[in-house]
Amino acid sequence: MAPYTNIPLSPAELSYLQTSLSATPPIRPDGRSPTQFRPLVAEADILPSANGSARVCFSDGTEAVVGIKAEVERTGRADVFREGESEGEDVNATGEGKGRNEWLEVAIDVPGLRDDDALPVFLGAMLSEALGADGALRDRLWINARFHWRLYVDILLLSPPLSYPLPLLSLTTHLALLNTRLPALLSQGDEDPLFNDDWDASTHLYPRPSKPSPATQKPPITLLVTTTGPNILFDPSRDELAVAESVLAVSAAPTASGSLSVVAIRSVDPPSRLTAAGVPREINSASGATATASAGEVLAAREKDEGRGVWRAPRGGVGRKVVAEVVKMVVAKGGVGEEVLAGLEGVET
Amino acid sequence: MQADRRRLNAPAGGTAPPTFAPTTTKPPRRARKPDEHRKIFLQTGIVPSAAGSAYYELPPQSIPQADGLLQPATSSLKITCTVHGPRPLPRNAAFSPNLLLTTHVKFAPFATRSRRGWIRDASERDLGVHLETALRGVVIGERWPKSAADVVITVLEGEEDGWHGIGKEAEGGRAGGWGSMSVLAGCVTAASAALVDAGIDCVDLVSGGVAALVGAEGEGRDEIVVDPTPAEHDIKAACLVAYLQSRDEITEMWMKGDAGNELENLLEQAVRSATLSRSVLVDAVKEAAEAKVGLQEPINGRSKKGQDVTMTG
Repeated sequence: MAPYTNIPLSPAELSYLQTSLSATPPIRPDGRSPTQFRPLVAEADILPSANGSARVCFSDGTEAVVGIKAEVERTGRADVFREGESEGEDVNATGEGKGRNEWLEVAIDVPGLRDDDALPVFLGAMLSEALGADGALRDRLWINARFHWRLYVDILLLSPPLSYPLPLLSLTTHLALLNTRLPALLSQGDEDPLFNDDWDASTHLYPRPSKPSPATQKPPITLLVTTTGPNILFDPSRDELAVAESVLAVSAAPTASGSLSVVAIRSVDPPSRLTAAGVPREINSASGATATASAGEVLAAREKDEGRGVWRAPRGGVGRKVVAEVVKMVVAKGGVGEEVLAGLEGVET
Repeated sequence: MQADRRRLNAPAGGTAPPTFAPTTTKPPRRARKPDEHRKIFLQTGIVPSAAGSAYYELPPQSIPQADGLLQPATSSLKITCTVHGPRPLPRNAAFSPNLLLTTHVKFAPFATRSRRGWIRDASERDLGVHLETALRGVVIGERWPKSAADVVITVLEGEEDGWHGIGKEAEGGRAGGWGSMSVLAGCVTAASAALVDAGIDCVDLVSGGVAALVGAEGEGRDEIVVDPTPAEHDIKAACLVAYLQSRDEITEMWMKGDAGNELENLLEQAVRSATLSRSVLVDAVKEAAEAKVGLQEPINGRSKKGQDVTMTG
């Protein structure tokens, strides 16, 4: 039992997992291919009082609900004055370049963790960074020079965080944003906003693809990628994370041309660095070695073993080539990113 | 009509809030070459009560203005780092087979233009997590079972997120924290020096580096610059790495913004930036080690040498 990692695996089990995951091709414990995702249950538009909502349930029992609420807010006085400078040439009343990232608020609630724990803070920063990376979303929150929408994205993880919940939360947020609708605006120009109270007339925050132009804007998705030995594995389960040498969170968003583009990458601290190392046979008194080995001898034997014979927590980081490879696998035509986006598009409301 | 002289009366005509005319001050432009890093000052062993400590500074540069107007310094960065430990875990703590590393990054309240509170906010916690990821891969934790070490970073002067000319305050919020990348790169380099000063075993020296894809002025293609100052550029995407040169590995990577096809180049240049700051890091560590073993006679805690090292990479 390793208390600081919540990984209930012995060094021998870790070594077994590591060996099978670094084989070519890798043998994953649940028999998936390296780029295959775990099956999931998803539904959208489940909360009647939210502008957009979604629920996703992974097969390992982790489940998340996202509710998105929008409020009209007065833009600060200072901002109005500043916008006034360019009012003369501003003929088209769109929000291009006028949105602010502060209008988007992402809050994450993970059961059993405080709001200021490292995990929710990191997840929140990662998700809002990806959402704010393309200017399209924040510009759509602009109503007129005096008012804007404030968008609250509230993410609730219903189950305890068994595996690293980033892909689950990201996919749920993506689905909720796709189904978010804002009331249609009736007023014109800079007057106080008046909205159509017919919900059927509301517009999607991310416009649906129309027949002539299938290419459209979509919210970003964040994928979790691990490397073990020479292999790159997508959507790792908890056991696979326990032996990962490095973990990358890659956010990709579709561009106007329809291809995917990476908007944010972060490395995540792999939990494998906190696992206990095994004891090599030469210094293991249970297998007949002399129990009088000094601390220096034990250390030397462990260093000599270099994690080949017994499990040792991975050291160092990830190579540059591997990062480039991961990015290529995510954004390539027909790659993992497109597959996930296509899968989420098929979710019925 | 006689005004009421017992009270403070409002002006008769009413008032309008002042609106300031835009100044002609232009945002500063980069005077360095695209692949040139700012000068770094780095010294270890500055806090006697801590096991290890380091001070990192990017001195402010003054760019001569053609029109002779007063130009505020575009950037400066001052970071102190202390390492406490390795110390034994408290008796009632659970067993840990590895060194437990905790990182705290805190901006001083006066570090940036907008005041920071005394409690760490979300962005500071986030930087702390980033720093922990960068250092965890370097420290050989299994040599200190049942023990813990704290890395505490105080940012005395932080990089701004954009240029603070009149009417440009909004840019900072819109651009979204490009300055924190430079701060984190400094934190990684300083923390690495402090870890060495504390005598904690590491697989290599880790150094931080930032590169950014910036929009070209006028005509021309976007350009990748090493060690960007957010005030001087229109940054489109930026990438930070914590790099181990002798192993050619990255322990921490943080990329933001849409770099398109330039992503791989951006990563290369970030690694290059980290290599440049590593040369200063190596020299600072070597200088401190020589002073420690008595090869150099320290004067007031500072070594006699004190010469600059050229950044190579």
